[in-house]
Amino acid sequence: MTAAAVAGRPLRRRSNLGLVIHQVRYEQLSFWRNPQSAIFTFVFPVVFVTIMGALFGSVGRSSYFGGLSALQYYVPTIAALCVLGSCYGQLAVALAARRQNGILKRIRATPLPAWAYFVGLLAHCILVSIADIALIVGVGRLYGVPFPSHWPAIVLTLVLGAAAFCALGVAVASVISNAEAAPAVAQLVLFPLLFLSGTYLPIHSRVLNQVTGWLPIRPFNEALTGPLSRHTGADWRHLAVLAAWGVIGAIVAVRRFRWDPRPE
Amino acid sequence: MHTELTSGAASAGARPAQPAMAGREPNPRAAITVAGLRKSYGSVHAVRDVSFSVRRGEIVALLGPNGAGKTTTVEILEGFRARDGGAVEVLGLDPGDRSAARGLRERTGLVLQDIAVEPYLTVRETIARQAGYYQAPRSVPEVIGLVGLTGLERRKVRSLSGGQKRRLDLALGLIGSPELLYLDEPTTGFDPAARRDAWNLVRQLRAAGTTILLTTHDMAEAQALADRVVLLNAGAVVAEGPPAGLGGRDAERARITFRLPPGVPPADLPVPAGVHDGAVVIDTARPTEDLHRLTGWAIRRGVTLSGLTVDRPSLEDVYLRLTRDRAQPGAPERSIR
Repeated sequence: MTAAAVAGRPLRRRSNLGLVIHQVRYEQLSFWRNPQSAIFTFVFPVVFVTIMGALFGSVGRSSYFGGLSALQYYVPTIAALCVLGSCYGQLAVALAARRQNGILKRIRATPLPAWAYFVGLLAHCILVSIADIALIVGVGRLYGVPFPSHWPAIVLTLVLGAAAFCALGVAVASVISNAEAAPAVAQLVLFPLLFLSGTYLPIHSRVLNQVTGWLPIRPFNEALTGPLSRHTGADWRHLAVLAAWGVIGAIVAVRRFRWDPRPE
Repeated sequence: MHTELTSGAASAGARPAQPAMAGREPNPRAAITVAGLRKSYGSVHAVRDVSFSVRRGEIVALLGPNGAGKTTTVEILEGFRARDGGAVEVLGLDPGDRSAARGLRERTGLVLQDIAVEPYLTVRETIARQAGYYQAPRSVPEVIGLVGLTGLERRKVRSLSGGQKRRLDLALGLIGSPELLYLDEPTTGFDPAARRDAWNLVRQLRAAGTTILLTTHDMAEAQALADRVVLLNAGAVVAEGPPAGLGGRDAERARITFRLPPGVPPADLPVPAGVHDGAVVIDTARPTEDLHRLTGWAIRRGVTLSGLTVDRPSLEDVYLRLTRDRAQPGAPERSIR
């Protein structure tokens, strides 16, 4: 019997999975209690798809929406939007703020391994995305969009997309040194790209689509549209582009991420 | 802060012995050994040559003006920064060695200057979250009692006062039951009663065997808590010793101060005197004799020496004398704020 056990504090080593679950649990608590994250990140996409349904719910298949009905078009793009918000947007802002006020430094001073911290964040973001997408698909169903059938492809696309946008979010948080600037910079990059990638309106410019096809958002929109609305399987070509962006984000994040608010 | 403290030393002693550093005889009585430490940021020599040691169970205060190299030194010990030269050993391990990092973090606790807590968790959740990172944490209710947050367990962190958040910070530093605790300005923003409670807690921790490295600008705090003081200036140690004897303070001259009534010139005094802010100040190596002469003179002349005090230079006076001359711009302070 060790002295620690004598002192009433049994030694225990959490399993790796246990550590991640511990992290996810408290990330979830923080997230749902923060009205800003809960409303803007979670509720906004659901409200958005509801409004689009009210406006365009009766617009049937048309060439304007690439042969889909309006809602068949919007359910996947808004699903992508919610992943962007809960992964990229959330991490870019939250990590910059946590670094600035010293929370990251304090975590770094504990025995929690860095990988467990980031895997916990990723799992948290994926959970939020899954809940949000379930609601979005549910609202779509109310407006007559049939339930999707290719669930493995949806899960694969969702997890890959979430991982890629989490990596990009961490990368942006790593590059921004000032927490006040983080929301502005994150949105500045995101907002025009959302428009150009067809999230809000279909884009019929071939040139534009070619360009945005190599950027992260449009491939994700396309990769979700297949299994969610066209009843096709995994869209490997677009998933590959997305994965490449995830790798780029991860490289920047690993090389530039700092726990300490002060520069070396 | 009335909860009984369980002994950190008991569990510390039972942890498996760490392998000795190659070619170095580890000193089992030393918690921290720093020898010839150097660190530069570009052309700025933040730490030029710092050597000191902290024995197990001791409270050592690291003092010095901004830019003296305190923060850099402590951050190297904590493993946040790499050193340019010199030897550092913390609990028998090298904090610059990445493979030692997790083991070292298991056994050390930090209370940093920033109030670094998530706003939307409760007090209990914040501490329980941190507890989950350690192999042998203290119990959450025990730590809540230690830092005096009993009754606030279910309060959201964002609704706490600044002083209460600081106590929560302290709780996070203690939850892992550290053998070695770094305290950086631990009582800034505390009211006098809270500060007294925090000091008592620190003494209680030492009594339980915790080693503490305290960084502070508060001379009264260093005087009240520290067994020894290490004074840094311009990246080097300029004085080291118990707070009462720092810089040869026991042997220092005493200072006699009083005011003379109008019309009595200081030149009439039987001992050499100076005038500062309207008060007579006598610096003397023989306070007993000079005081006897002065009071005898005053009684004979029928003069009242109002506000008569005899004191020795305070820790603050010594600090100011030792750090005034060689002050120079050191490491950049915080980039933000």
